[in-house]
Amino acid sequence: MQAALGAPDTSGTRRPGLFGWLLMTPMLLWLFAFVVAPTLILLVYSFCERDDLGLVVYSFTWDNYRRIFFDSDTGEFGTTYLTVFVRSVIYAGLTTVICLVVGYPVAWYIGRAPESRRNLLLTLVMIPFWTSFLIRTYAWITILSTNGLLNSFLQYTKLIEEPFDMLYTPGAVVLGLVYSYLPFLILPVYGSVEKLDNSLVEAAFDLGAGPVRAFQKVIIPLTQPGIVAGVLLVFIPAIGMFAISQLMGGGTDPTIGEVIQNQFMQARDWPFGAALGMTLVVMFAVAFWFTSRRQEAVPG
Amino acid sequence: MKTIRLILALTLLAATAVPSYGQAKKKQVLNLFCWSEYVPQEVIDGFTKETGIKVNTENYASNEEMLSKLLAGGSKYDLIQPSEYTIEALIKKEKLDALTLENIPNLKNLDPKFTKMPHDPEGKYSVPWMAGTVGIVVNTAKVKTPITGYKDVFAGTHKRRIVVLNDSREIVSWALATLGISANDMTPENLEKAKPILATWLPQVKVYDSDSPKTALLNGDVDLGIVWSGEAAILWKKNKKFSYVLPAEGAHQFIDSLAIPKGAPNKENAEKFINYILKPEVSVRISGEFPYTNPNAEAVKLLKPEQRDNPASYPPGAPKLETFKDIGAAAKEIDKLVTDIKGRK
Repeated sequence: MQAALGAPDTSGTRRPGLFGWLLMTPMLLWLFAFVVAPTLILLVYSFCERDDLGLVVYSFTWDNYRRIFFDSDTGEFGTTYLTVFVRSVIYAGLTTVICLVVGYPVAWYIGRAPESRRNLLLTLVMIPFWTSFLIRTYAWITILSTNGLLNSFLQYTKLIEEPFDMLYTPGAVVLGLVYSYLPFLILPVYGSVEKLDNSLVEAAFDLGAGPVRAFQKVIIPLTQPGIVAGVLLVFIPAIGMFAISQLMGGGTDPTIGEVIQNQFMQARDWPFGAALGMTLVVMFAVAFWFTSRRQEAVPG
Repeated sequence: MKTIRLILALTLLAATAVPSYGQAKKKQVLNLFCWSEYVPQEVIDGFTKETGIKVNTENYASNEEMLSKLLAGGSKYDLIQPSEYTIEALIKKEKLDALTLENIPNLKNLDPKFTKMPHDPEGKYSVPWMAGTVGIVVNTAKVKTPITGYKDVFAGTHKRRIVVLNDSREIVSWALATLGISANDMTPENLEKAKPILATWLPQVKVYDSDSPKTALLNGDVDLGIVWSGEAAILWKKNKKFSYVLPAEGAHQFIDSLAIPKGAPNKENAEKFINYILKPEVSVRISGEFPYTNPNAEAVKLLKPEQRDNPASYPPGAPKLETFKDIGAAAKEIDKLVTDIKGRK
């Protein structure tokens, strides 16, 4: 069970037939056109230079990668962009943890609610998507700013004297990220919770497990596919997100998504942006390879 | 029989399709690629009403972003809105189409102060839309010490109470101005001198915003800003506590203009649009919504006294102003400098 989840079956006993390939064609074409080809273009660009107007010039250079890892003044190992990477991972990691802590109970509640109410609750989770993402982010700005709704309310009710500094802080960025990505965690976990066989939980209680133990040993493993899917759906887009850190963070603590976006727009240095993008792809690939190996190594 | 019916059906389909295609072609369009918050919807609607030309608008937030999309190809724009140094670069690279000046009789309305400037000495490629400056907005209700230049903004007493434009070239030019170096003198040695200044300045900034820097000031999140004069004029209009100061060290004067990129599919419509916005009664509406310095002398005559008295739109006295020139490859070094300092923080 665990092996089947963790690693693809490579024994070659069930190769897809012609029909199987046909069924997969749309997906393969999609992957090629929107993942493989763009990544290859990015790879080529990352070794190019730019001209005065910012157009890509096809002459080979390592400079873009050198700029990521080495200080331009001293030539020694530089931490500028490493800090940006780490900051993005911290933001995304915090976001994922908060989404999990907040979203899991919600998903559990919805999944266990009577069927008639479930659809209503699910609709409530999705309603925010009916409004444009940017408008929702701007709404947060009016709520969190110094003269904003929240500060005015707190001052009006005499809970605070001076307004809090909430907007344009790292906290605001994480709040914005959690708000945006929470549904992406709730929905897959809900899918797992809904399918969970209640008799297994009852069996755990019958066999003497307390609530904590039943949760740990039965419920979590059974809803794990949903948790894994949710965590990935939150963590990966959160790392690349640039609009929220720009709008709610003020752009003072740039995240990797912001820096990359800036290279393609403001700075017009596509090769350097491509090099940053490739570095991110490689880091993801290594992390994925590492975790999938660990899953193989620890059975059950 | 089946084949015949199929052919019949196809011909019918083709017959119905062709006229509608013809109609679609006859529908005149103008693909306008302009700054966000710069072209009033009212003006676009008025143009469509007068000429029947449908306007497709796309927005950008910086000259560099516009260049990215323009030069990447794919989209065909008829009219773009670059600033002076970008016009110079585009002319150099032969990316602009010369205007047919006879098609734009309203050019006569322009104040000669704003035409045939160094970036387009013959006035062949661009028509000024609005001029403006980059200066300091002070919330005088919060900041009681006098602010006269960049040095006062970044003196350290207003840490994390500052909004600045998210524009690397602007930011570096301010640092150079405090050293008495021209904004167009971006040599590696001068950039090296700007570096330590920016390293102390940038950590004091709370918000980088080129689109709408007035938001952070209005919301009370910051007390000082180095912003476009039009943004400052709007703030002053809303509340007189927002005063506008042109930095004593010298300020950037920008000339945002209209220009037609090479290969524009609807050049004539673009020229019609230029001629339309040069009408004094139209131009004065643009000033009403976006109170920059209007280069249209006839339109300025139509302004209300309180509009003409707005110190951000029409600064009194003789401030030290400088337009940007194209600096070519140095643009990359400038951005590297700012990105590295921002990232390091």
